[in-house]
Amino acid sequence: MAHRWAMVIDLDRCTGCETCMAACHAENNIATVDAKQAARGRAMHWIHVERYWEGEFPNVRARFQPVLCQQCDAAPCEPVCPTYAAYHNEDGLNAQVYNRCIGTRYCANACPYTARYFNWWNPVWDKPLQLQLNPDVSVREAGIMEKCTFCNQRIVATEIQAKAENREVQDGEVKPACVQSCPTTAMVFGDLDDPNSQVSRLARSMRATTLLSELGTNPKVIYLERESSHGND
Amino acid sequence: MATTSIAPEYAIDIKPDQIRQDLLRPIFQTSRRFYVLVFFLVAIGLPGIFLYANQMSEGMGVAGITRPIFWGIYIANFVFWIGISHAGTLISAILRLVNATWRRPVTRCAEAITVFALAIGAQYPIIHLGRSWLFFWLMPYPSERGIWPNFRSPLCWDFFAISTYLTGSTAFLLLPIIPDWAVVRDRASGFRKRIYTILALGWRGTPREWHRLEVAMRIMAVAILPVAISVHTIVSWDFAMAPVPMWHSTVFGPYFVAGAIFSGIAALIVAMGILRKALHLEEYLKPSHFSNLGKLLLVMSLLWVYFIFAERLTVWYGNQPAEMAAFWSIQRGRFAGLFWTMVSCNFLIPFPILAIKKLRTITGTMIASSTVVVGMWLERFLIVVPPLEHKYLPYEWGTYHPSVTEIGIAIGTLCGMILLYVLFAKLVPIISIWELKGGQHKKPFAEQALSAASRSGVHLDSTLPSTNS
Amino acid sequence: MKRRTFLKLSAVGGAGAALAGCGHQAEQLIRFIPDETLIPGVATWKSGVCAQCSAGCGMQVRVMQGDAEVFRDGQFGVVKMGLAKKLAGNPDHPVSRGKLCVRGEAGLQVTFNPDRIKHPLKRTGLRGAGQFTQISWDEAVQELLAHLQPLAAPQAAVSLAFLTRPLGGQRGVLVERFLSGFDGARLVPFELFDDAVLRTANRRSFGYEQLPTFDLAHCSYVISFGADFLGTWNSPVAQSVGYGTLRQNRSGIRGKFVQVEPRMSQTGANADEWVAAHPGTEGLLALGIAHVLLKEHFGHAEATGSAGMQIDGWREGLPEYSPEAIAWKTGVAPETTTRLAHEIAAQSPALAVVGGAPLAHTNGMFTALAVNALNALLDSVGKPGGLQFTPRPPLSTSGSAQDISEEGKVDSIRTLAQQILSGQRPIELLLLYEANPVFATPPGWQVREALEKVPFIASFGTFIDETSRLADLILPDHSSLESWIDAAPESGAAEAVISVAPPAMRPLHDTRALPDLLLDLARRLGGRTRQALPWKSYEEMLQAALAPLAHHPGSVSAKDSDEFWKKVQEQGGWWSTDASLVPKAKAPADSSRPMKNQEPQFAGPAAEYPFYFLPYASQPFFDGRHANLPWMQEMPEVLSTGMWGTWVEINARTAATLQIEQGDLLEVASPNGKVRAPALLSPGIAPDVIAMPAGQGHEDYGRYASGRGANPIKILAPQVEPTTGSLAWAGTRVNITKVGKGELVLLTGGPTEWGAEKVTR
Repeated sequence: MAHRWAMVIDLDRCTGCETCMAACHAENNIATVDAKQAARGRAMHWIHVERYWEGEFPNVRARFQPVLCQQCDAAPCEPVCPTYAAYHNEDGLNAQVYNRCIGTRYCANACPYTARYFNWWNPVWDKPLQLQLNPDVSVREAGIMEKCTFCNQRIVATEIQAKAENREVQDGEVKPACVQSCPTTAMVFGDLDDPNSQVSRLARSMRATTLLSELGTNPKVIYLERESSHGND
Repeated sequence: MATTSIAPEYAIDIKPDQIRQDLLRPIFQTSRRFYVLVFFLVAIGLPGIFLYANQMSEGMGVAGITRPIFWGIYIANFVFWIGISHAGTLISAILRLVNATWRRPVTRCAEAITVFALAIGAQYPIIHLGRSWLFFWLMPYPSERGIWPNFRSPLCWDFFAISTYLTGSTAFLLLPIIPDWAVVRDRASGFRKRIYTILALGWRGTPREWHRLEVAMRIMAVAILPVAISVHTIVSWDFAMAPVPMWHSTVFGPYFVAGAIFSGIAALIVAMGILRKALHLEEYLKPSHFSNLGKLLLVMSLLWVYFIFAERLTVWYGNQPAEMAAFWSIQRGRFAGLFWTMVSCNFLIPFPILAIKKLRTITGTMIASSTVVVGMWLERFLIVVPPLEHKYLPYEWGTYHPSVTEIGIAIGTLCGMILLYVLFAKLVPIISIWELKGGQHKKPFAEQALSAASRSGVHLDSTLPSTNS
Repeated sequence: MKRRTFLKLSAVGGAGAALAGCGHQAEQLIRFIPDETLIPGVATWKSGVCAQCSAGCGMQVRVMQGDAEVFRDGQFGVVKMGLAKKLAGNPDHPVSRGKLCVRGEAGLQVTFNPDRIKHPLKRTGLRGAGQFTQISWDEAVQELLAHLQPLAAPQAAVSLAFLTRPLGGQRGVLVERFLSGFDGARLVPFELFDDAVLRTANRRSFGYEQLPTFDLAHCSYVISFGADFLGTWNSPVAQSVGYGTLRQNRSGIRGKFVQVEPRMSQTGANADEWVAAHPGTEGLLALGIAHVLLKEHFGHAEATGSAGMQIDGWREGLPEYSPEAIAWKTGVAPETTTRLAHEIAAQSPALAVVGGAPLAHTNGMFTALAVNALNALLDSVGKPGGLQFTPRPPLSTSGSAQDISEEGKVDSIRTLAQQILSGQRPIELLLLYEANPVFATPPGWQVREALEKVPFIASFGTFIDETSRLADLILPDHSSLESWIDAAPESGAAEAVISVAPPAMRPLHDTRALPDLLLDLARRLGGRTRQALPWKSYEEMLQAALAPLAHHPGSVSAKDSDEFWKKVQEQGGWWSTDASLVPKAKAPADSSRPMKNQEPQFAGPAAEYPFYFLPYASQPFFDGRHANLPWMQEMPEVLSTGMWGTWVEINARTAATLQIEQGDLLEVASPNGKVRAPALLSPGIAPDVIAMPAGQGHEDYGRYASGRGANPIKILAPQVEPTTGSLAWAGTRVNITKVGKGELVLLTGGPTEWGAEKVTR
C-alpha cells in the first residue's frame, strides 16, 4: 500500500541543537569534506539548521529553521533531470537514483531550497572511519548528486517488516534518523494519507506552513511556525 | 529565381583564373606563419585537455563551481559558443533566401564559424558533467538499462536541438564546398589529390548536379532557419524552465536568440577581418561588406539593449524579493563592474562606431565587434552566475570564483575553435570559388550551365561551367 | 600525445581506485574466525552509555557485521565482527528518553577515529616531543608496576596523583579505591567547565551538593541566567526533552522562556525574551526580581529557608536591590526588571536556572546563591515544574567521584601544579586519564611546567593530546563502545538512575579497558590495593555494585540476581520507581553568614582592555575534547555557522565603529596573552563583549584538530572563584587589534550584516 510520507517540523520546539545533522551524517554515510572545501561551500549537510537574525541589539532574535529536501509533490528537480536520476517514487518521495546520475547538477539549480548536494570529490574516510559506514546506504562517488531521502532505507525496512508480519505500518513506526534523534521532538514523521496520523493532525494546525509556498512546489515537509509567548514580544 | 545585378561596391572585378589562384593559394602553399600559429594554438590549448582529464579523474571539485552555484563558466561558455554559432548559418541562410548578392564572399567563412563554434560549444555540456563518460545517457537509444532519457528535461531538448543544428549546419557548410573541392582535386596531385577526390564525392559538374545543389541549398536555407532559432531558444529554456530568480522569464527565448545573432555577427566580422589580412583577401572582402554587416550589428545592438532593458525593468518593477537580491548584486553589488563593462562593450562603444557612417570602416567594425564578443561573453556569465548566487533562501547564498581548471579549459576551447578554423581555411577555399565566379555572371550558374549543356549536349568540365582555360 | 596522456591519466586514476578498493595484501592473508554470530545485513540494537560528557545518557548502539582490520592474539588481520554503525538514545532511559545531543551522535567517531592510540607506547624522545615507540602490554604493565610498587609501600615519602576527567559511576569508585592503596595519593579531577560553584551553592542553599534537575515539561515560566541548558550545560538532552513540552504539547499552555546573557547562546536564541545584562551582574538582576516579588508580597522571605538566608538583606526585602538601584550596574531598565517579576508572579510554576558564564566570575558564588534564593522564593524547589535533585541509587559501593570530595583526597589541578612547582608535595608518579589541563587551563596556572617536573607520567587515554603527549608510558583504554561502561547521572532525571552497558563491539586495537587494567594492577600489587579491589573483572565489580538494586522497586524485576543482571544489561541500566528514594542532603555548611553583593573582578584595566572576554563552550566541541572528530569539525556552530576553526564574535555595530569587517584577522590581547582569529560580526552580542568558542587551537590532538583555530583559554587570566577555587573563565578583559585578513569557514554564504535577511521575507 502506497503512503504519502511527510514530516512536520515544529519551529517552536526546534532549539537549533543540530543533533539531527549529526544523526543524518551517521545514518546516511555523508562525507565530511575538509576545511578548505567547506570554506568553498562544499560541506554536505542533507539537513542543516538555517539561522536568521531578526532585529538589532539588544532587541535581537535568532530564528532557526532546519532545512532538508522538502520532498515536493511538484518537485522542480524532477522534470529537469535528463536521465531520471531524480524521479518521483510511488510513495511520493523525490527519489535520487545514484547510478543514473551523470552530474548535470540541473536539479540542484532548479531546487529552490538548495537542498541538493553534489559530490565534488570522491568521499574520503580515513581508516578505520570507513567501518562506521551504514551498509544499508550506498556510498556516492564523485560526480553524483545526493540529498535527503527521508531515510528511505528505514522506510523500506519497516514496510518489509510489516509485510512479513502481515500488517500495516503503524503510525510513528518509521522514524528517519533526524526524527529519531530530535531531543525536543520538534520533528514528526508519518503518512499524510492517514488522516489520523500524527503528521496529518499536526499538518492541520493553525501554525502549519510550508517553505516558499508561493512557488507551488507542494512540499511534504510542513513547518509549524514559532510562537511568541503571552503577547510580550 | 530573379536575376540581380551586383552593385558596383560589391563587384569583384577579377579574372576567374586570378580568383582561383587567390583562393586556392592557402591550400597549395603553406607558410611558416601557419606552422607557428598552429604550434601556438596547440601549445596554449593543450593544457585545457590535461585539465579536463584531471577533472575527470579527480572530480568536479577542481572547478570553481560549488553549492549553490552549480553552473559556472562552463555553462556560460556553452551559451556563448552556441550564440557565436548563430552567425554563420543563420545569416548565410537569410542572405541566400533574399538573394543578397553581396553575401557571396561571406557565406562560407560564416558557415564555418557555425559548425566549429557549435562543435566547441557542444563540448561544454559534456565537460561540465560530473560523470562525463556517461554523457551518452542523454541519447535516446534502446539500452540494456531499459530506460529512455527524460524528454521533459530541457537538457534532453538541448541534445536534440544541438545535434540537429550541428548536422544541419554541417550539411549546409559542406554541400556548397563540394564543387570547390572538385576544383582542388582537379588541380592537386599525389596524396592531396587522393584526399580531395574522396572529399569531392565524384563531383563532375553536370547540370543535374548543379541543379540538385541549388535545390538542396534552397531547402537547407529554409530548413535551417527555424532550427537555428529553436536552438538558442532551447538553450535559453535551460535557464527559463528552472524556478531560479531572474532565470524564470518568458523574455529569455527571443532575448537569447537576439543575443546569439548579435554575438555571431560580431564574431563573423572579427573572423573576416583577420582572414582578409592573413590570406590577402582585400579584393574579395571589401569595406562595403564590413559596413553592411556593421549595420546589421548596429540593429542587433539596439535590439540587445531593448531586450536587456525590458528584462531588467520588469524584474525591477516586479520587485520580488528573491529576484531583487540577484538584480541588485548585478546592478550595484559584486557584479556591477562586469555589468557596466558589458553594457559598454555591447552598446556604449559599438553604437557610435556603427551608427556614424565615417566610423563604420573595417577597423571600426572590427573594434566594435571585438568589444561585442567580449561583452556577450560577460552577458552569458551574468545570466548564469549571479542568480545562482542568490537563490531564495539567503542562508544558502554563495560566491563563485572560477578556478584554473575552468579558465584553462575555456582558453583551450578558444584555441581549439581558432585551430579548427585555421585548419579549415587551410584545407578549404574560405571563399566559395564557384559562388564568387557565379556572381560575376548575369545568371546563376545552374541555369547557365543547364542551358549551355542542353545546347551543346556535351559534358562540361567537372569544375565550373565557365571554365575554358 | 594527447590521447596517450589522457590514457595515462585515466590509468593512474583507475589504479588509484583499485588500490583504495583492497587493503594491503599482507593483511588479507590472515583471516580470523568470526568473533560472534551475526547475520550479515541484519542490525541489532545493543544498549550503551554515552561517554561524550558526564551527563550519563543511556543509548542504543546499532551493530552490524563488517570486516575490520584488528589486532588479535598477537597479530593483525581482517575479521568479521559486529561493528557499531549508529548511536541513538535509549527510549526507556529516564535521562536521554530516546534522544542524544549532537556530540553524543558523534561518539561513533571516537571508536573509529584514525588517531586513536592503537597499542601501548613508550616515550623515546625528549618529554613532550611526541616520540613514542610501540611496546607490548607485558612490558607496559611491568614498567608501570615498577613505578607503582615503591609508592604502595606504607608511609612512602613520595606519592602519586591520578589526573582524570571527572569520573562518574563505578569507574570513579574504582579509581578512588585504587588510590586508597597509596598513602597520600591525590585524585585530581579536571574539567574546564566544571560546575563546582553551583554544586557548592546548591549545598549552601538547599543542602544538595549536585547539579539540579529541571522539570521543564511542567513549567510555565523559565528565566535562565547564562545557562546554555539546551546546548552544552548540565544534561542538555534531558533538558531539551523537557523544553519540547514546555513549548508545545500542553493544550493552551506555552511556557515562556527568558534568557539573561551578554552573548546570545544557542539556548538564548530560543528565548522569547533575551536580556543582555552586563557580565557578572546576573545575580543582581535575580535579586532585583526577588526585590519586586518580596515588595509585592509574592511569597514570604521567611519561607525560603536557608536559600534566602544566604543573601544579606533577604529578610528585610532586599532594600539594596530595587530595580532602580541595580539598573546602572546590570544595564537592564528598571521597567524590564519589574515586568519580568510581574510575569514570573503571574506564571506558575516558574523556575530560575543559573549556569555557565555567570558562575565563572569572581562573584560566581554570589550569583548562584542569588538565583537559588529566587528559586526558593518562587517555591520551585522539589516541586513539579521546578528544580529537583536526583536521588543516588543505593549501590553497594559509594556513588561517584563527587562523593569522595569530602574525604580530603581530592585536589584541583591548580593546587597540584602549585604544590609540584613549590616542591611542597613530591609527586613521583602521575597517572593520567582523558583530562587535558595543559590545553584547558590558563598559562598562569603553569600546569605544563608542573607536569614536566613529574618524574614519571603514565597515561591511559585513547588519544595523544597536549597533556598525554608529556607521558612516559601510554596504556591505551578501549573506547566506550568496546568496554563495560556505566554512569550514575547526577541530574536529568527525577528518579535515581544508573546507566550500565556491556561492550557493544569488540576492540579494534591492542588496547585494554582501564577498569580491568587497574584491577589487574591491584592484583599484582597486592596488599591494601588488592583488598580494596577484590574483583576479577570490572563486570564483576559492576554486578556486585548493582546487586542491592534488585531489592528496590525499579525498572528491572527479576527472580534471581543472574536474571537481574541480564535484564540490567539489556535495558542499559536501572532506574528507580521508589518514591521513598530521596537525594541525600548534606547540611548547609555556613548558613549563618549571608553574602553581600560582590562586584565581579576582571583582570586587565578597563582603559587598556575595553572588552569583557567571554570564551564559551562550543556546540560541537564542548571544552575541546571533541575537536578530533571530523563530524564535529564540520558541524556548523548554529549561530555563527562557523566550521573548522575559531572566530572572534564582535557586535556588528562595535565592529563598524572600529572599521572591522567580517573575516578580518583580529588579535585578541589580554594581560596574559594574545590569540588571533578572524572576526565574526553578530547582532547577538553586547557591544562591550568579545566572545570566542572554546575547543580549537589544539597543538597536538590528531589530524583533524591539530594546528586549527585558536585557543581562547590561553589568554585567560588565572582568576578563580575564591570559595571553590574554580577557574573564573569569564573574568578577563581584552582589547582587539586588526592585524590582517583571516579566513572564516561559514556554512552560510548569506549576508553578513544583520537585517539583510529580510530580503526574502
